Amino acid sequence: MRRKLRVSPRRVGRAATVYSLLAQGELDRLQCEATRDPIPFFEIFMKMLSNSLALLLVMASGGLAMAANVPAGVKLHETQELVRNNGSEPETLDPAIASGVPANNVIRDLFEGLTAIDSAGRVVPGVAESWKQTDPQTWVFKLRKNAKWSNGDGVSADDFVYGMRRLVDPATASKYAATYGVFLHNAKDILEGKKPPVALGVKAVDAYTLEIRTPFPTGFLPDVVSNLQLGPVHKATIDKHGKDWTKPGNLVGNGAFTLKDWQVNSKIVVAKSTNYWDAKNVQLSKLTYLAVEDGNADVKLFESGENDWVYQLPPGTYEKYKQQYPKEIRNTTMLGLRYYSLQNADPVLKDIRVRKALSMVIDRDILAQRVTADGQVPAYGVIVNGVSGANPTRYEWAGWPMDRRVAEAKKLLADAGLAPGSKLKFAYNTSEYHKKMAIFAASEWKTKLGINLELEAMEFKVLIKKRDDRDFQMARNGWVADYDDATTFLTLVQCDSDQNSQGNCNRKAEALIDEGNKSLDPAKRRTLLTQAAQMIMDDYPMIPLLQYTVPRLVKSYVGGYSSTNALDRYRAKDLYVIKH
Amino acid sequence: MGSYCLRRILATLPTLLVVVTVCYLMLHATPGGPFDDERKVSAVVLANLQAKYHLDQPMWKQYLYYLNNLLHGDLGASFRYADWSVNELVAKALPVSAAIGGGAIALSLLIGVLLGSVAALRQNSAVDYLVMLMGNLGHAVPSFVIGPVLILVFAVWLRLLPAGGWDDFAPRYIVLPMALLVFINVATIGRVMRGSLIEVLHSNFIRTARAKGLPTRIIVLRHAMKPALLPVVSLIGPLAISSITSAVVTETVFSLPGLGKLIVNGAANRDYTLVLGLVVLVTVIAVGFNLLVDLAYAALDPKIRY
Repeated sequence: MRRKLRVSPRRVGRAATVYSLLAQGELDRLQCEATRDPIPFFEIFMKMLSNSLALLLVMASGGLAMAANVPAGVKLHETQELVRNNGSEPETLDPAIASGVPANNVIRDLFEGLTAIDSAGRVVPGVAESWKQTDPQTWVFKLRKNAKWSNGDGVSADDFVYGMRRLVDPATASKYAATYGVFLHNAKDILEGKKPPVALGVKAVDAYTLEIRTPFPTGFLPDVVSNLQLGPVHKATIDKHGKDWTKPGNLVGNGAFTLKDWQVNSKIVVAKSTNYWDAKNVQLSKLTYLAVEDGNADVKLFESGENDWVYQLPPGTYEKYKQQYPKEIRNTTMLGLRYYSLQNADPVLKDIRVRKALSMVIDRDILAQRVTADGQVPAYGVIVNGVSGANPTRYEWAGWPMDRRVAEAKKLLADAGLAPGSKLKFAYNTSEYHKKMAIFAASEWKTKLGINLELEAMEFKVLIKKRDDRDFQMARNGWVADYDDATTFLTLVQCDSDQNSQGNCNRKAEALIDEGNKSLDPAKRRTLLTQAAQMIMDDYPMIPLLQYTVPRLVKSYVGGYSSTNALDRYRAKDLYVIKH
Repeated sequence: MGSYCLRRILATLPTLLVVVTVCYLMLHATPGGPFDDERKVSAVVLANLQAKYHLDQPMWKQYLYYLNNLLHGDLGASFRYADWSVNELVAKALPVSAAIGGGAIALSLLIGVLLGSVAALRQNSAVDYLVMLMGNLGHAVPSFVIGPVLILVFAVWLRLLPAGGWDDFAPRYIVLPMALLVFINVATIGRVMRGSLIEVLHSNFIRTARAKGLPTRIIVLRHAMKPALLPVVSLIGPLAISSITSAVVTETVFSLPGLGKLIVNGAANRDYTLVLGLVVLVTVIAVGFNLLVDLAYAALDPKIRY
């Protein structure tokens, strides 16, 4: 009956991980994170005490049973059922293959990893009760003994070993194998087929102890392993059903919920699992994920009372709905960046003065407040606000008055020999949102520098192809962090990185990043990575514009939705319905 | 007639082969592939993915592989919906589209023919103007405007019906999307029926019938109706096909898990197998409906014999 608050011996005060929405490629739909400061033990103790007291009080007053996630004094609704739009149809419910936000949202309820991210965005224990870094490149996770699969089997360290080997096995062909494989010893060789999956640096020391070796010191590994790509899967089920193992009736998971129904392009229903180790603290009995892609249809379902949680408001409607539904509007800044890639090898853009001038004259404040008008934050560097491992960098001119910026930019262009009236091409994928931003940028460059911008709208896949082939002058781009560390953003501008569309490369900065990653001192690492980010941004490889937010409507009776959760990773386990 | 049907059905096979081949080539010529995304996958991951889906094989080999599967009734695995085969996806979406699209066509034929006939018989009367107004409205106002208005009125304001979604053929989820389709189809059918009946009523054999002293009821039902229906019958084929291929608007507005959504998502995601599978399906349906229409022609027009 007493609520237990488990505290890991080593708290990793960071949390975050968001996936890029791969389904429709619309980064607009994404969402993200941030919560920092490690909680002191004293505070936790006091919290435990006050919660226990609250529990006693509520019990004495004959109130409803309280759980870990429900604050004292909150009355629960009789039926604990919610409907949440998931933005799109998940591409799979197989954790190893999942790549988009919708799939990861559902998988987070069906499975549980070593750690998890709670509503406030903190790393909390999952199947692992505690963890510690035994040497710079080794982490040891102690698993709880009462963790169960939905069929009643116990969850052991071997299930994790199997899950991780399966992720990097070339036969699985997971899109995230390389993204997370980076943090596992030997994963690269296994992916390339040079070593068998059993060579992976993940070992079950005993049934409840898992040892993970990393190729380099990785202080934020507990954050990374909250991703279910690195979670356990039930081998017997996969062996028995093959490709069909994720279907309702077949799927065996270890999460707080089980899969009840799956209607493609319509809905996925999950129901509370009775075998989950912490079932007594799970409030919801049923959660329905809708697969509504159209933002307007999504809002209509919300207004008619059939949907409690809008995935994302359609572009240009944030201010309107903020007025109309002041109690239901939500908007959280996430770890994501909207930017324009510049082709650094282009005859015109290879001149740093041109790139600098283009970046300088775009008024990010007007862009954020008047053009997109959805609460996004101006960005002046590749490292966004709130990300761990490095500080956001900022250009000196960002604080100048616009007149001075324009004068300086004009001088730069004159020095570079780019006459007013010159033409540049900009590629973007057809979307109202991207078009608005592009028209604004075009008008800034036209009115302030006399440069004509030719806008080329194209289908998403065509844009991606052009970017990958470096067949563009300027192109729309966007990124949302996979895990809360600066390195995920640095991949956008690093030499030889798959995510670098610009073709820029600064070897000196590269050396600093390497040095920082090898350092065991977080403060030193932060200094080095920040320095590197500044050096790269001073080369003006791209134009940072805005930091993502996700504006949406959520019914006021949805409990467990945190306004400070910049992470947007909600487990149904942490949600509840307030009496209404 | 039996041999005619058989010949027609056999003639579909070459059509199908041409359609599949052209589509196959066009799909693979489109820039971008199923694994291209905002987050670029590393070269080695891409190689693993392509090996898994046989995309590392030469084109002709992939094509033959596909044809072979097709002959065995296997439309292959979907790229976008990785846990499902194209057969499974079609099996789930087709009944939804058929229920809404088929129901809408049947209902709009009934209403459209009725309204069109009334308008034709009462030409230039108030009824005629009303029917014509409805017809023009259905033509002029796009479905992505009518749909949301229906939702606003019946779901958000009156709370009588759901704003969208699907629940195992529950009628309340079918009413609004079907109403939208019926409204649009009736506009077309009503206008065609009106025009064609007016034309028939002015022809010589009707004048003869009148001269013989036959009552109007008999003239219309026995003599005018059959020939007047011919243009309407020829509409059924295109309407049936468009209720699948252009249903994407209805499906988007009402969040329905039908075939239209699969086609659009399949194409946008370069889901080669899914798009090809649906193209095969639409071709078969198109050919089937054309055959039915031709047979209906023979039933309605004594001049046509097979």
